[in-house]
Amino acid sequence: MSSWIRILIYLAAAPIVGGLLAGWDRRISARMQSRRGPPIRQPFYDVQKLWSKQNLVVRRSQNFYIVFFLLLVIFTGALFFGGSDLLLVIFALTLAAIFFVLGAYKASSPYSFIGAERELIQMMAYEPMILLTAIGMYMVTKSFAVNEIASHSTLLVLTLPGIFLGFLYTLEIKFRKSPFDLSCSHHAHQELVRGITTEFSGRTLALIEIAHWYESVFLLGWVYLFFASMPVLGVVMSLLVFVFVILVDNVFARLKWQTAIRSAWVVAAVLGFGNILVLSLLSAKPAIPAAPAAGAVTKPAASETVPAGAAMPGWNNAKAIARRN
Amino acid sequence: MSGFSKSPWIIHYDASSCNGCDIEVLACLTPIFDVERLGVVNTGNPKHADIFLVTGAVNEQSKDVIRNIYNEMPEPKVVVAVGTCAASGGIFRECYNISGGVDSVIPVDVYVPGCAARPEAIVDGVVQALKVLEQKHQDMKAVPQNTDQTLYLRAEKSDAPEILALQKNAGQCEAEIYNDENLPALQQTLEELQNDFDRAIYIKAVINDKIIGSVRGQAHEDTAYVSGVVVHPYYQRHDIGRQLVEEIEKAFPNAKRFEAFTGRPNVRALHLLGRAGYQEFTTEPFTPAITWVYLQKERQ
Repeated sequence: MSSWIRILIYLAAAPIVGGLLAGWDRRISARMQSRRGPPIRQPFYDVQKLWSKQNLVVRRSQNFYIVFFLLLVIFTGALFFGGSDLLLVIFALTLAAIFFVLGAYKASSPYSFIGAERELIQMMAYEPMILLTAIGMYMVTKSFAVNEIASHSTLLVLTLPGIFLGFLYTLEIKFRKSPFDLSCSHHAHQELVRGITTEFSGRTLALIEIAHWYESVFLLGWVYLFFASMPVLGVVMSLLVFVFVILVDNVFARLKWQTAIRSAWVVAAVLGFGNILVLSLLSAKPAIPAAPAAGAVTKPAASETVPAGAAMPGWNNAKAIARRN
Repeated sequence: MSGFSKSPWIIHYDASSCNGCDIEVLACLTPIFDVERLGVVNTGNPKHADIFLVTGAVNEQSKDVIRNIYNEMPEPKVVVAVGTCAASGGIFRECYNISGGVDSVIPVDVYVPGCAARPEAIVDGVVQALKVLEQKHQDMKAVPQNTDQTLYLRAEKSDAPEILALQKNAGQCEAEIYNDENLPALQQTLEELQNDFDRAIYIKAVINDKIIGSVRGQAHEDTAYVSGVVVHPYYQRHDIGRQLVEEIEKAFPNAKRFEAFTGRPNVRALHLLGRAGYQEFTTEPFTPAITWVYLQKERQ
């Protein structure tokens, strides 16, 4: 399938899939709280209603920023599903979030300000881990291009278990779920009124909702990338991850922003960086066989220290690299 | 289908309730009643809300908050007064700091009785409110099509209740501009308005049998005093105010001069009178924030 067709499918299907995911989210949450919950199509009803509401603004330009937020979120997803460079995808994602923050800052309301500040803090919390995820994928596949990562022959999650867990942690932040629903919350925590979305109403709020739908599909697409060599498993795992995120949302209370940023960085350092360190140690070895003496010393040591499951695919991969060399 | 009846978002405010009704409102969100199955979300943000649930009687402290929340909600919006106190003031009605039920401050669409109102009654009230919300949305949508079908008629004494309700509704915008709720339009009682019909002439603007605007005129010697131009918020900015002024001028064939007045911060009213041919001739300071502006027009 050419990348243009994939992009077109993404543009058309993502709002529908994203909206249904949001509906399932509310339904599953309700069931976890032993409630009946709204219909699956509820998010569509919400957006339909918001579309015909009066649009109140503090400053007209605040809506302008939100339009760019939506466009850049769509652009991010289009880059991703078009198989473009993962670093460019991260860059576009960050830019989109920045436009959202700017829109909230434009509205000059204290609640909106606090929401915007917390959104920035959340970005600082998840950015390192997202970057490490891209680097980890590069180290295994030797490419930043999404289509090459997706067509890689091994299951990435086996070589990148730490990075996968770290990425799950950032997903909690990106989906704005407890314990990280600091900047705005879909549930009835009201001490910030509605945080970053406080000053948006009517159509602008509908655009924000639609942007979130696109964003969820893009993020679950990234989860799929970890299982890309087995497509069915990938889809199943993406949905399981989504259910897991909802479960965590219902189990945990909200964290303070200090704890949120500290824990996110610790996770990035231990799981993300640790995983990359192991990978680099593994891939350093096969370069050595040119000098047999040194290779003979290091090889047994490596196979003793590294657990078999993690070592094997990496080892195959390293051999592949050696062959290419 | 507009989605309004499927996704009502609620903001809940406790005016000065004993907390009985508030607990019952929150009980609606619990697993037993679970109003979220109807798409209800308890937002806590007036800018996202469609339905304003108020519990308790209105006192001097909560007055401004209620008016503020109401003004911050985007149209179409519905107000539900939950419990006896919110409906009429209840047992606190005669207290020195109580101004009565919620309808003493903002227009109320649905009243839910009970002390405390039962969750079933509150859910029923919300369902009733949905119909009002849908109706208001239809009215809003219909505005651009039917403003040219407006009829301008002489109002009778029997129109007084409808005109009073309109004054209270449209007066909210004015109270916000002046930051003052003691405006005559908001304070007037039905009796005062009915007595006023003996002295003055009222013209009403009617669309589909509903009064959407009115104006008052009173002659004194050669001068006719034009006042009380009100237009329903949905129909503002459709030139109805100016045409009302024109009609009231026709109602005084013997007047040589017309006089009107408004407050300085009310730019929209000044603009309206300016387009109708009125010119400023004197001003009078009223409060530090408000200056009364007197405008006049000679008959050509």
